[in-house]
Amino acid sequence: MRDNFLREGSEADQSVFLGLPTIEHPDDNPPSLAKLELGRKLFLDRRLSANGTMACATCHLPEQAFVNREMQTAVGVEGRSGRRNSPTLLNSAYLTTLFHDGREISLETQFIAPLLARNEMANPSIGYVIENLRSFEDYDGLFETAFGGSASIEKMGQALAVFQRSLVAGNSPFDQWYFGGNDDAVSNSVKNGFELFSGAAGCSNCHSLHQTHAMFTDNRFHNIGYGWMREQDRHKGERTVNVQVAPGVHYEVSSSVIESVGEGRQADLGRYEVTQNPKHLWQFRTPSLRNVGATAPYMHDGGLSTLADVIDFYDKGGARHALLSPWVRPLHLTAEDKDNLEAFLNSLTSENLDCLEVYARSGLIDGNRPQVAPSLGTTREP
Amino acid sequence: MNRREFGLLSATWLAAGLPTGLRADETCQSPYMPKITGHEEFVYVWTLGVEGMGDGQDKLVTVDVRPNSPTKGTVINSVSVGGRNEAHHGGFSADRRYFWAGGLDTNRIFIFDVHSDPSQPRLHKTIETFVEDSGGVVGPHTFFALPGRMLITGLSNSDDHGGRTALVEYNDDGDYLATYWMPTADDMRGAVAVDGAVADGYGYDIRALIRKNIMLTSSFTGWSNYMMDFGQMLQDPEAMQRFGNTIVQWDLHTRQPRKVFNVPGAPLEIRFPWGSNANYAFSSTALTSQLWLIYEDDAGEWQAKAVADIGNPADIPLPVDISIAADDQTLWVNSFMDGKTRLFDVSDPHNPKQVYEKVIGPQVNMVSQSWDGQRVYFTSSLLANWDKKGEDNAQYLKAYSWDGNELVEDFEIDFNALNLGRAHIMRFGSAALYA
Ligand code: HEC
Ligand code: HEC
Repeated sequence: MRDNFLREGSEADQSVFLGLPTIEHPDDNPPSLAKLELGRKLFLDRRLSANGTMACATCHLPEQAFVNREMQTAVGVEGRSGRRNSPTLLNSAYLTTLFHDGREISLETQFIAPLLARNEMANPSIGYVIENLRSFEDYDGLFETAFGGSASIEKMGQALAVFQRSLVAGNSPFDQWYFGGNDDAVSNSVKNGFELFSGAAGCSNCHSLHQTHAMFTDNRFHNIGYGWMREQDRHKGERTVNVQVAPGVHYEVSSSVIESVGEGRQADLGRYEVTQNPKHLWQFRTPSLRNVGATAPYMHDGGLSTLADVIDFYDKGGARHALLSPWVRPLHLTAEDKDNLEAFLNSLTSENLDCLEVYARSGLIDGNRPQVAPSLGTTREP
Repeated sequence: MNRREFGLLSATWLAAGLPTGLRADETCQSPYMPKITGHEEFVYVWTLGVEGMGDGQDKLVTVDVRPNSPTKGTVINSVSVGGRNEAHHGGFSADRRYFWAGGLDTNRIFIFDVHSDPSQPRLHKTIETFVEDSGGVVGPHTFFALPGRMLITGLSNSDDHGGRTALVEYNDDGDYLATYWMPTADDMRGAVAVDGAVADGYGYDIRALIRKNIMLTSSFTGWSNYMMDFGQMLQDPEAMQRFGNTIVQWDLHTRQPRKVFNVPGAPLEIRFPWGSNANYAFSSTALTSQLWLIYEDDAGEWQAKAVADIGNPADIPLPVDISIAADDQTLWVNSFMDGKTRLFDVSDPHNPKQVYEKVIGPQVNMVSQSWDGQRVYFTSSLLANWDKKGEDNAQYLKAYSWDGNELVEDFEIDFNALNLGRAHIMRFGSAALYA
């Protein structure tokens, strides 16, 4: 069974991987079933937060394509506000920089940030987390089996990384058409949308493709004007906000009322916060657009609710200011263009999202990959 | 308003097992419970700890309200429980010897002994396993006493911290008994939707009309919203879509949901009147600022309809706690944003009329009145991250007398000045109950 699970290039792998590049596992952290299961358990464990209320999966929900669709910006321990939207962990195996500002480089170390952030899991220290883990009886022997030694910060990161690298989702209708050669896999609208995306609209300058695979990200940082625009919004004076109080019932609420009960949004300078280079103000990492139809709301602060809103934003030429990327300019799209672009973006949703949800919540069945399950993807050729 | 006489019932009367004609307490608690018909002696205030204030912990604060006591109007006891748990609501066991208080964030349930010395409650037991016991329910909210048992509404669940939730039943010893998930559009659990209501599976309050075997539950929102910064939430269209819009009618004895009513805009507190022929209940919707009547019609069917606006709904006054008088003629309605209490004449429950209003403070949440209606108490805190910021974050217990025309302040306790925290639910205590 185990061999079967890890066997290279099985048919299930092929289909999940259609359109994706090879996963590169770090030499010092090859995947194994034991690590995978341990990582999955850690990912779901609410006891890993300061007061036992939050797991990784609380913000990266398996049922919601590993984002939280029910809020724009994340809420952490004791309800503390985060500035940013929880990105999907689907296909995080392929990211070369992590976080919206790219401040991390590896899944093996990334987990420390949420564990310690005051507005995420709020633990007092990593040592405290490890000590807790060692005391939980249901972890008895798990680290030992997976790594041949007791729980440590390094092993914890490795297990979580192996689990997250298994959340692989390719084989979307777009992949079946573009890489799989199935002409019927998508509508003409999708094909026209893709033509715009990779042509006149210039989207693929940043959300890039290769000949054999596509992640729709260049893994680089750009200023599309959105972060700058949100900063201007923050400094607008008295205004009203349209608030839905019940289905179909909306009231205009003045910002002073909102401020009376809110701490107010924090500034977010994007990549600049990492490099301190003024040229990097309001740059954010280009997000992958895979499964974007399932990961609303959008942008680093979740401020756009729908793909149509995002397309409108680009159509207007982003938000003009001195640091705006030259690739972002008014597009003069017709209504049909916009529909086509949206259809294309929605064609990037993989078929195995339900399967990944079940897998993340329930694990492998009898040590075997449930049909649906993700691949460890050890050796597949691109 | 015609105030009806109501019978005096002994303070030591034990309701457990008595099926009908029950008159309960001051005035919004489980009808199974013995009540204080004389002067309440203590007000217990379940108080949220504030980071950086005093010991930073949630605590049960006891205020002396005995008329001739030298310490009247002061805090005479405070029991800290460890941590900030998002202290919120609580309720006595049916024998009124224990006070159960929940933490909406950490899901701990604290059971205080209030009978050994009613002036000095002490922590008797802590249930740490609510989520595991119940199969994933989060946010223990209302504690509604049944004889020998405690029925607890949840607000959320551990999978997604959204609004889908359940009722959870424990026995008086604190042992878990059962979980009843709220009906949803996908799984109606035998209930029917009335007037196009969409069963959302959300929870908040629970009250019962025993003689009709009717139980009602209301619907608020999940952890993600009730823990979120209020200002942030108002500006988050995704979050604002996640409020309950239903009241569910249940069979009290079988805990079987029967009907799902459409009550849009987060119906919160539910209050049944006490009269032996009064077959209705009130609820108020927090976001849409309406008073709703859930009532039995002439054909014996239960219905729901909006019967009054509370202030100007477009201003979002945010109605919160309500308290019905023991004679069923009036209803106090607090609204958080404008800090007001409003008195409605509900002698005709189908046509409530506002007859009085007063600003209690920059913010107000809970209201509790004595059985004779002559004393009315208010506290300030809604939720840790929803309370007002800065100067307007007044935290208090205020005691008033009510003469039928005017609320006259008796005393006020400043919970900020005393480094106690955010004052939330109040429950009354008295040594006479255990004499
Ligand atoms: C309170 C909500 C919350 C919790 C809990 C949380 N995350 Fe996140 N996660 C976020 C947010 C928000 C971001 C983006 C932060 C940023 O860009 O600064 C993020 C980013 C990430 C990323 C980077 C993804 C990318 O596209 O760059 C990974 C990987 C990740 N989280 C994994 C985890 C793991 C593993 C855990 C548990 C140890 C965890 N998260 C716990 C909210 C959360
Ligand atoms: C200059 C590079 C660049 C170009 C050109 C570009 N994008 Fe983006 N895109 C980004 C960056 C950077 C972000 C993230 C911005 C943020 O989070 O604030 C983004 C975000 C998005 C998102 C939101 C994804 C999410 O998960 O939140 C969508 C959808 C999107 N782009 C689609 C498009 C489309 C369609 C086009 C062409 C019309 C386009 N992009 C052109 C760089 C680019």
